[in-house]
Amino acid sequence: MGRERPRLREVVVEASRALARLDTGRLEELALSCQALNREMAEADRGRRVELAVESREAQGDMAVFARVLEATRANLHVMNRLKELREGRLEYGGAQTRLMRRRESGDGDN
Amino acid sequence: MGTINAALGIMSGALDADQQALNIVANNVANANTPGYTVEKPEWQQNSPITIGGISLGQGVTETGAESQRDRVLESRLDQQKQMASASGSRLTALNTMQALFTPDSGSSSSKAGDIGNDITNFFDSFSSLEVNPTDNALRQNVLSTASMLAGDISNAAASLNSQRSALNEETAGIATQVNALTGAIAQLNQQIMTDSPNGDAGTLEDQRQQDLSQLSQLIGINQITTENNGLAITTASGQLLLSEGTSFQLTTGQANGMTDFYLGGTDVTSQLASGGGSLGGDLTARDQDLTGALSALDQLAYGISTAVNTQNNAGQTLNGVTGSAATPIYIFNQPAAVDGSAAHMSVVMTDPNDVAAASAASGTGDNSNAVAIASMANQGIVDGQTPINFYSNFVASLGSTVSTVETENTAQNASVTQLQTQRDALSGVNLNDEASAMTTLERSYQAASQVFAMLNTLMASALNLGDQTAVS
Repeated sequence: MGRERPRLREVVVEASRALARLDTGRLEELALSCQALNREMAEADRGRRVELAVESREAQGDMAVFARVLEATRANLHVMNRLKELREGRLEYGGAQTRLMRRRESGDGDN
Repeated sequence: MGTINAALGIMSGALDADQQALNIVANNVANANTPGYTVEKPEWQQNSPITIGGISLGQGVTETGAESQRDRVLESRLDQQKQMASASGSRLTALNTMQALFTPDSGSSSSKAGDIGNDITNFFDSFSSLEVNPTDNALRQNVLSTASMLAGDISNAAASLNSQRSALNEETAGIATQVNALTGAIAQLNQQIMTDSPNGDAGTLEDQRQQDLSQLSQLIGINQITTENNGLAITTASGQLLLSEGTSFQLTTGQANGMTDFYLGGTDVTSQLASGGGSLGGDLTARDQDLTGALSALDQLAYGISTAVNTQNNAGQTLNGVTGSAATPIYIFNQPAAVDGSAAHMSVVMTDPNDVAAASAASGTGDNSNAVAIASMANQGIVDGQTPINFYSNFVASLGSTVSTVETENTAQNASVTQLQTQRDALSGVNLNDEASAMTTLERSYQAASQVFAMLNTLMASALNLGDQTAVS
């Protein structure tokens, strides 16, 4: 017997939780589940479509939460990228100094 | 020999440097479980080479000290998110308590604020019943009973809201005390850091300061400004100075209309603090916006019903043939003098069921036209232009919507705090994950989540369209 499919609402709530704890593995699993759901939707009969419509309405609030978590993640990613750039900038500065020293040493003929 | 000595000297210096670096690593390991500790990394500096006979000779390396792997921008972002999460969390707690109050079947058995909707319907229905037999004593008694139930539930709800507001008020005063203690401690740390490490990382002192800042962020919305010599100035989110380097400025309190107001340097900053963040911001928003709004709505409801019903009853004739006047009014409810406080003071003043004026003043005592007029008020805009039941329903729906919005914000903000803490731990905590790996995880998670969101969005959009198919002509 196959496992009963989770309701859409459960998928959305789980996605928000997985994103909060940056559980990439779980999010990738959920992405596959959503692909399967989309395929199911394409082949579904009218009864099943109505069921999915009901589930979709039920999941609207949780989708709003997921959207906000996604937005916060994007903002955090932006901050982290800027920090990375800043740190790389500092490293580049150190690197330039080192390169200058290396050039001087080469000129001194001890290389 | 000179060359061998020089080589041994370089090796000896390198060993010393390695030993000092090992001490730093040992200190990191020892502090692995110390809250707020930031991992330190040894700093290496190449000794200046010397040139002998045109040949440059290296002089080895020196360990110049340890630098904590912290990033003030990241810490600042984390603190900012904590302020927001803390504010929405505090507000949500207060809102949930309010919502529970207006949930049907809540409260004590004698008085249930959650039943106000039913009470309104029952009260006006009791006049509809009285229309049929206006002289019936049981039906008249029922009018007073339903009026008592309505007034009791509204005044009980107002009392509960007022009590919640007072509790929050006390909590805010307590938070202000904690804020003052923390700003005082940070000012002292600032002074020490500026004296001991004006140009470099202050290590443990810096960790302590960061921990205090983190705690402060949970309490109040703040901005941090780095000053000269490794000092720090902190302002409230709206820019009032809380501390500058070694000096802190106390948040003082005063009473206005029974509630605590907050001052900084003589200026009332209560409303700025409410919108600033932290648990103080959340509590003040709940106290001054949500609870005040709910009390105001109840006041309007109580005022609208009491005034309209009393006016109509006073215009009619009692079973004893008495007609009300301005000098000797015949009221069912305590007549409110003003909208403010109407809910808390709502009560039934009529004791004799015969005083219910079912008849119009011009008719006989067996007439029902005034009872018809009062019953029809259920469908008239007597409360702020709305029918009583619509006004109450809209109030409850609006409260539910606010709870839902704040809940969404709080979930998202907490998720953001969790993510940033993960990133911070990777950068400055003592663990084996390196920064690059943490960054990759953040990027991959965001990409995977974006895919999940896009697919769910598509699925739901098509499900909602296909679920309710409409004919296409």
